[in-house]
Amino acid sequence: MSNWAIRHILLAIFTFGAIIYIVAPLAIVVLNSFSSVAYSVFPPPGFSLRWYANLFEQSAFGVAALRSVLLATLATALALVIGTMASYALVRHRPRGGELIKGLLMSPIVLPKIVLGVALFMFFVRIGLINTQISLLLAHTLVILPYVIAMLTAALMNFDWSLVEAASDLGARPLRSFRKVVLPQISTSMTIAAIFAWITSFDQVESTIFLVRAGTTTLPIEMFLYLQKWQDPTIAALSTLLILFAILLLLGLDAMMRRKRLTLEILNRGQ
Amino acid sequence: MAERRRWGVPLLLLAPGLALLIAMFIAPLMAFMEYSFYRFRRGRLTADYNLDTYRRFLTDEYYHVIILDTLKVATLVTLIALAIGYPLAYAMWKINRPGLQRWLGLLIFSPILVSVVVRSYGWTVLLSDQGPVNWALRGLGLTDEPVTLVFNLTGVLIALAHVFLPFVVFPIFSSMTRLDPSLREAASDLGAGWWMTFRRVTLPLTLPGVVAGAQICFVLSLGAFVTPAMLGGGRVLVLPLQVYSATSEINWPVAAVGGLVLLIAALLAVLGFNRLLRYSEVR
Repeated sequence: MSNWAIRHILLAIFTFGAIIYIVAPLAIVVLNSFSSVAYSVFPPPGFSLRWYANLFEQSAFGVAALRSVLLATLATALALVIGTMASYALVRHRPRGGELIKGLLMSPIVLPKIVLGVALFMFFVRIGLINTQISLLLAHTLVILPYVIAMLTAALMNFDWSLVEAASDLGARPLRSFRKVVLPQISTSMTIAAIFAWITSFDQVESTIFLVRAGTTTLPIEMFLYLQKWQDPTIAALSTLLILFAILLLLGLDAMMRRKRLTLEILNRGQ
Repeated sequence: MAERRRWGVPLLLLAPGLALLIAMFIAPLMAFMEYSFYRFRRGRLTADYNLDTYRRFLTDEYYHVIILDTLKVATLVTLIALAIGYPLAYAMWKINRPGLQRWLGLLIFSPILVSVVVRSYGWTVLLSDQGPVNWALRGLGLTDEPVTLVFNLTGVLIALAHVFLPFVVFPIFSSMTRLDPSLREAASDLGAGWWMTFRRVTLPLTLPGVVAGAQICFVLSLGAFVTPAMLGGGRVLVLPLQVYSATSEINWPVAAVGGLVLLIAALLAVLGFNRLLRYSEVR
């Protein structure tokens, strides 16, 4: 066999192993959710649906899930509005000190989430506004705003501004030319930013764990706290539903990437 | 861009973002800083400002161990994620069927779509004494006794590298796609073998991607809370866990100074990696 073939076989074996590493913790959760026993043992001695039955009896998870969905949706909408306004101002008007302002708006990304969570907790205790839904919403919005601004300033940078000038020469008001000319061009970036922002908001634990109280928790925090006390596969059943949801999202992303001919570059959100 | 540099409209557009930043970021951080100077005695916080907590962090061995462990975990996780992530990005780059490449990319990305609590829970099941990994090890005759893989440092490292793997793969992959193919052709025309071409052309030119991925992975690992809490079993005490428990025990000065140390470590890491990035791009 040639060196070339050996190299590619080794690379294929490695990739296969890496895929197992990536998928295994999710696959085992799905398997475990159908286990017939409360303790985790492999292979499971039998299969049952009792953990799903148990899950649907615990209304706390349902309420928390609903709250998380609502919170993520509202925070995403708010961050998109605030983020679009800020990105437009930064790219279109290039105000003095714009780089500094952008840096400031991006800075929450560097802050470890637990530090943000504790700082928010101390601050809200101090001013007596602890345990309000609005503080939770604003905290989520702050966390996801940098992602929106990063994505939208990049999209607006590539935008051909002479189109806006043409529109205003033809008599379009600023808001109308934004809606008719700018918005259609950045809508893909906005969609991707919205998906990432929603997922990030839905997965907040440390930034808000001190801001919620029993009975008003979000889903990941409810799960985290449940797992501190219990280790039965009820969480596996719930996780399986969340994995199913993630697979649907993945199929949606795939369809969007194919239709809009997007490269894998869009998954690189660290930039 | 014929627009003049005037304030007014831009300020109006930036106002909501800046207001959010001040109310939910700057003001809380200032309150946080203030509590670092408070005194905590017999379960009570008092506002007589002092530097005792800072002094304790500088002199007490207990805190030094926590800080060093935090840095150790972040370093090891970054190295593991790079060791898995680089070949994986390379494989993804080498696949020349767009559909297959897109699906491998989405597969690598997919764990991000699932809550980190679910992923960490999956690892506790996978690595437990009666779990599949130990079952496989026994089946292969590699061990008789179950190997303790969870509720210790090993479990935390395996799971954290998994959580941050996508953040390493994509910057590296993106630096590979920017590579000029003619450079590698030139190298092989000049008689360089695969290894020589990789070592002298591909690796140096993808180093910026490696550094960018390492930066994200390292900084995120420093602040990781859920995974060490669930897989450390109380044996892996890193700064985020220490900050969490100090806050729960109303020992806010310790929580604040611990958080400040974490914040400074994250900032230094960002700056350090930025320098490295510039250096790797120049070469």
